[in-house]
Amino acid sequence: MSFFENIRMAFSSIAANKMRALLTMLGIIIGISAVITITTLGSTLRTTILRALSSMGGNSFLAYINEKEVEGLDDDDYYLTSEDMITLNMLRELEEQYPGEFKVAASTGSSSATVVNSEKQYINVQIQGVLNGYLDSFGLKLKAGRNITMADNEQNKHSAIVSDIFVRQYFRNGEEPIGQNIEVSFENGNPFEFTIVGVYKYSELKLNSFPAGTKEIDKVTPIYLPYNVINDMKAMPEEGFYNLQIFYDLSVENSVAYTQICDFFDEQYKENRMWNVYIYNIQDEVEIYDMIINILTIIFSVIAAISLIVGGVGVMNIMLVSVTERTREIGIRKALGAKRSTIKLQFLIEAIIICLIGGVIGILIGLLNSELVGVIANNIVSSNPDYSDLLGNISISPSVGAIVISIIFSTLTGVFFGLYPAGKAAKMDPIDALRYD
Amino acid sequence: MYLELDDIKKSFGEGENRAEVLKGITCGVEKGHICVLLGPSGSGKSTLLNIIGGIDTPDSGTVSIDGEKTAAMNEKQLSQYRRKHIGYVFQSYNLIPNLTVKENIEVGAYLSDKPLELDEIIKTLGLWEHKDKIPSQLSGGQQQRTAIGRAIIKNPDILLCDEPTGALDYNTSKEILKLIEDVNSKFGNTVIIVTHNDAIKLMADQVIKFRDGRIRHNDLNTVKTPAAELDW
Repeated sequence: MSFFENIRMAFSSIAANKMRALLTMLGIIIGISAVITITTLGSTLRTTILRALSSMGGNSFLAYINEKEVEGLDDDDYYLTSEDMITLNMLRELEEQYPGEFKVAASTGSSSATVVNSEKQYINVQIQGVLNGYLDSFGLKLKAGRNITMADNEQNKHSAIVSDIFVRQYFRNGEEPIGQNIEVSFENGNPFEFTIVGVYKYSELKLNSFPAGTKEIDKVTPIYLPYNVINDMKAMPEEGFYNLQIFYDLSVENSVAYTQICDFFDEQYKENRMWNVYIYNIQDEVEIYDMIINILTIIFSVIAAISLIVGGVGVMNIMLVSVTERTREIGIRKALGAKRSTIKLQFLIEAIIICLIGGVIGILIGLLNSELVGVIANNIVSSNPDYSDLLGNISISPSVGAIVISIIFSTLTGVFFGLYPAGKAAKMDPIDALRYD
Repeated sequence: MYLELDDIKKSFGEGENRAEVLKGITCGVEKGHICVLLGPSGSGKSTLLNIIGGIDTPDSGTVSIDGEKTAAMNEKQLSQYRRKHIGYVFQSYNLIPNLTVKENIEVGAYLSDKPLELDEIIKTLGLWEHKDKIPSQLSGGQQQRTAIGRAIIKNPDILLCDEPTGALDYNTSKEILKLIEDVNSKFGNTVIIVTHNDAIKLMADQVIKFRDGRIRHNDLNTVKTPAAELDW
């Protein structure tokens, strides 16, 4: 009997007992669909969390002043002076060395200020001096215009980035804000003129400053100005930075950027006796999350896979029943010259097909489950603009590997649990089998 | 002789329950002959048929078809022997209930290296219009026809029929016997029919009568009566 005929016979005998076959498959269906749902949700969770993490600074390093290991120095002997700090000058050098690659998220403290528009309306704002990477560190997105650059800092340009809320508060008639000058009055009363170079999208989730129910007109949003300009205005001495968050461009590999930034600061602090700059790679943390999610996915999948064993035992049970029921059929086949291996293969293929059909149905149900969870999750996310800002559209990503493994696993379940009943059928004595009632 | 049996002995049970069913059977059947094994129930004729069919083994003695002896065969070789030489028809048809007539006959075809043409067999059996029915939709005669089809599609050297008409009424029995006769003349298989119906012996080339595990008569018919003219 050919392989194809075996398959046809198996389908015919499954079709003869549809309900029984379906109930037998149920264990496999539940097991496989659970595995597929869990792995799909796991991989979706993973991509979503990783994307959220990187939107919150995953592509950045933390740099901070750190003690050098020096022989003969105790902890008490280390002292930090303003000369040991990371200076703006160093950061300018960093930008010159790697143009466009690194952005530094440093800021001055924020202070209150007011702006008056052409209709003499007062608008309260926060002002903060920033370097070019500050917006990135908050995950704030530019809606129009450009970021504050190192050049703005270096040349003390009076550039400003304002929020979209501010734009609505200030330009009541919907004028184009980019390139417009605004007059900012600081706490000490001196007005300064700034040019709007960019507009960012205000995010309640990231800046989180108003009690619920605040009217938009009353919202006080930050205006970001060049770091140096603020320092100069406040007549603050340039002290430099103790720690910084440094963003690297996503086109650069993490490991490459990490080596570059480490080498850069090692070179800068070569002459320093006690201090250097330690670079903490946030990607390491992301990798830990990645690992945790993977481990959880595997653990839950294994737990789900245990139900496959229960399903497999069900298949074995029903195959044993089937072998007993078909004792005479086995007797006839043997009397007509069927080999042991032929009989064995016939029942084995039947068990495998039951498991495979169960597996395929399980995969489909699993994908459907995941899709359903995806729709619900997206509904929740899109109902809250801050979540959707952070997470974007959650796209369910079924794991192809899990589907392939499921198919292999259900085949193996069929083989494993079909082997004993098939062997029992193959070993039957034709005379006894023919006499069986 | 094409089929030769030499001093076949077979007993069942142990100790006091031991029953000697075949007490030394020696006989032969010519190729292409119809041979009827006659005897009362328990005379050992079915056991002998099973031994010829290679699904039972004698305690001693040898069976040989065309010089090929079964005694020395292992299980795998016995399967091969059955596959090559033997077609089986049972009293209780033993069809596979979830397969159609056509598929049931195919079960035989798959087990043969040189099967006959399926459609031709179905037509010969007079089952063409029933070929897609399953056994429960058929009459007893039609089921037995299907069983004969399953046996002969292999084009076996020997067709073994164990009480083929045992469960059928008079007219259907004659139809089936006629079919066996037709098959024998059309395909030239050697046919061995086990029966306790004395009338059937008239259609045979050779009649072997059994009693108590021994052959009492072994005669060749000089004149055969066609199955259609049998009467009982």
